[in-house]
Amino acid sequence: MSTLEISQVEKKKERKLAIIWAVTFLIVFPLLVILGLYMRLNQGKVVELDYTKFYAFMTMHGLGMAGVLFSVAFAGLWYLISTRITRLSLGVGYFVYFTVLIGFLALAYGTLIGNFAAGWYMLYPLPFKGASWATWSTQVSAVALILMGIAWLVGILHLLYALTKRYGGFFNLLGWQYLRKGDHEKLPSVVLIATVALIPGIFAFLAGAVMLIMYLLQTFEPSLAFNPLLMKNLTFFFGHMLVNVTLYCGVGWVYALMPEFTKREWKVDKVVVYSWNATFFFIVFAYLHHLYMDFAQPRSMQYIGQIFSYMSAVPATAVTMFGIIAQVYHSKMKWSIFPLMSLFGMMGWAIGGFAALVDTTIAINVGLHNTLWVPAHFHTYMLMGVVLFIFGYLFYLFSGEEGIHLKNVTGKAGFWLFVIGAYGFLLMFYLSGINGVPRRFADYQGIEAGHVKETGTQLARYAAMFIYLILLGLLVMYWSLFAKLTRRQKASAW
Amino acid sequence: MSSITILMTLQNLAGVLTLAGAIIVVAVVIFVISSTSKEEDKDAAKHKVYSVRTRYFFGLCLVLIVGLFISLRLLPYPRANAVADETVSIVGVQWFWKMANGERTTGPLEFVGSNEVTVPAKKNLKFVVTSADVNHSFGIYNSKGVLVTQTQAMPQYNNVLYHQFDEPGEYYVVCMEYCGQTHSYMVGKIHVQ
Repeated sequence: MSTLEISQVEKKKERKLAIIWAVTFLIVFPLLVILGLYMRLNQGKVVELDYTKFYAFMTMHGLGMAGVLFSVAFAGLWYLISTRITRLSLGVGYFVYFTVLIGFLALAYGTLIGNFAAGWYMLYPLPFKGASWATWSTQVSAVALILMGIAWLVGILHLLYALTKRYGGFFNLLGWQYLRKGDHEKLPSVVLIATVALIPGIFAFLAGAVMLIMYLLQTFEPSLAFNPLLMKNLTFFFGHMLVNVTLYCGVGWVYALMPEFTKREWKVDKVVVYSWNATFFFIVFAYLHHLYMDFAQPRSMQYIGQIFSYMSAVPATAVTMFGIIAQVYHSKMKWSIFPLMSLFGMMGWAIGGFAALVDTTIAINVGLHNTLWVPAHFHTYMLMGVVLFIFGYLFYLFSGEEGIHLKNVTGKAGFWLFVIGAYGFLLMFYLSGINGVPRRFADYQGIEAGHVKETGTQLARYAAMFIYLILLGLLVMYWSLFAKLTRRQKASAW
Repeated sequence: MSSITILMTLQNLAGVLTLAGAIIVVAVVIFVISSTSKEEDKDAAKHKVYSVRTRYFFGLCLVLIVGLFISLRLLPYPRANAVADETVSIVGVQWFWKMANGERTTGPLEFVGSNEVTVPAKKNLKFVVTSADVNHSFGIYNSKGVLVTQTQAMPQYNNVLYHQFDEPGEYYVVCMEYCGQTHSYMVGKIHVQ
């Protein structure tokens, strides 16, 4: 798919940036998993966390994961595009990295030291009423998020600008030239997907920035007040899109790299163009399903929420998932670790997406909203979707273009431990959701209704055991990954 | 069939549907992986997959349209012509519930209510739900631990929820929206007689 003339020196420089991102992810990710482990242990009454600490952990786990997963997903796109499609500025790349890093460290300070504990969504006006943390930690956390948002915006705008220049117009990035008659240059699928993912990303970060600036203003001028329903719409517009955009960045690599294993081209055609343009449209409006239980929200918006959520299943499955099936079916390919992780990532996306679709049915949502069913489905497509895409990409990056085709028994052993641990962990979430166990509860001891307290507590303990398995799987995968990296370093000594 | 039984069925339905969906997805993955033991010309393979895709596309659209048609008639929102037998006012406050029979005549802050309220069974009740501070969510569980219904309690807004309790007994109010430090203990009781 490479259409770029690039020197080995330039490629090595881009690879170095990609590896810095990767190593940062590999350090941060298990730490955030451990915060999640503590939360489940506390819910299982195995450890005793102070309530403020529990919710501070919850806030850092949510914001930290969303931030680091998007960052590495974006960094992966950056690497693929900068080494194969068009030159990108390393200066901008490092600016994004260091600004996000500073933002991330400030966020950790605001939450873990300052005890900012308003949840990832800091649902307005929670940070200003009955807060158990100091105003400064709200300010530090808001500034930290604004910093990360600015960095991502700069990175996205630079990448889209470079692609627009390369393909002679923005609409060409959306594949609209395929809908007209006549010859046109081939558009790599990763470019189309990156565009569809990153434009809503811009909307999301702008919405998030507006919201955070409003929060900051109120911390300095407490007499200010904003409309809570508007703020909630902004919050979920931002959060829902960030998660979707992260997922699509990962899907972008799968489109780009899978053909190297199947030896079948994954071309952009009219169907793919229609599909991804429709996806663009659906992800912008599907966020409304987060507000189903706000009965004061205009009814038409509730209908739009369900209709758009349902419709988003069409391009995702009929085009993308069938696309990977067409890639693999009877291809006589070797199941090395990248295609294995990519296919399982698609599987996690499909299963989590299905559970999400069920929950986006308003009539069912009334019985599942804010129960553990919600983290169940988004952890499915994040942990068993995005994280698997990321590890597939990391193995690709660390092994090199030849090494990735090797067997890698250790890496696969880690992968299976990770997958078994993750699905066990997820199953506990799903069972809890069906049993009405609410989400964002430090523990369930205050619930008198039926068996909810006992069920929630017991399932949290089982979930914690599966998290240990996840960590063990990670450890084995890390062993394999770093063995590959150090071996390559010796060989190429960059 | 009581509304609780319907809801039970819906929650179980969510589990059953998802399990069925997951089994299908896993079966497809296993089938696709096992297919790679044999090689087929890429165009022939693609043709086979895309002919299935066409059928899948129309099937999925049909399922989604039918699903929308059925489910959008079962919304929990108040109907324009809804008539209540009784009104119950609910105000969420960090970290307890103020509940009282009748319309609320004061602001949420001044409103006086209790963490427990008694209501009649088999009557169409109108819950007018709001908050005096941050977002809460008014979730009602029955004595078996089934989440029966819910609506958000948002400051500055009244969310109106109609509900009829078909079975007398104890029902439990649980805050379903994270609202700060002792959110998990923000509970109340509804006695249905």
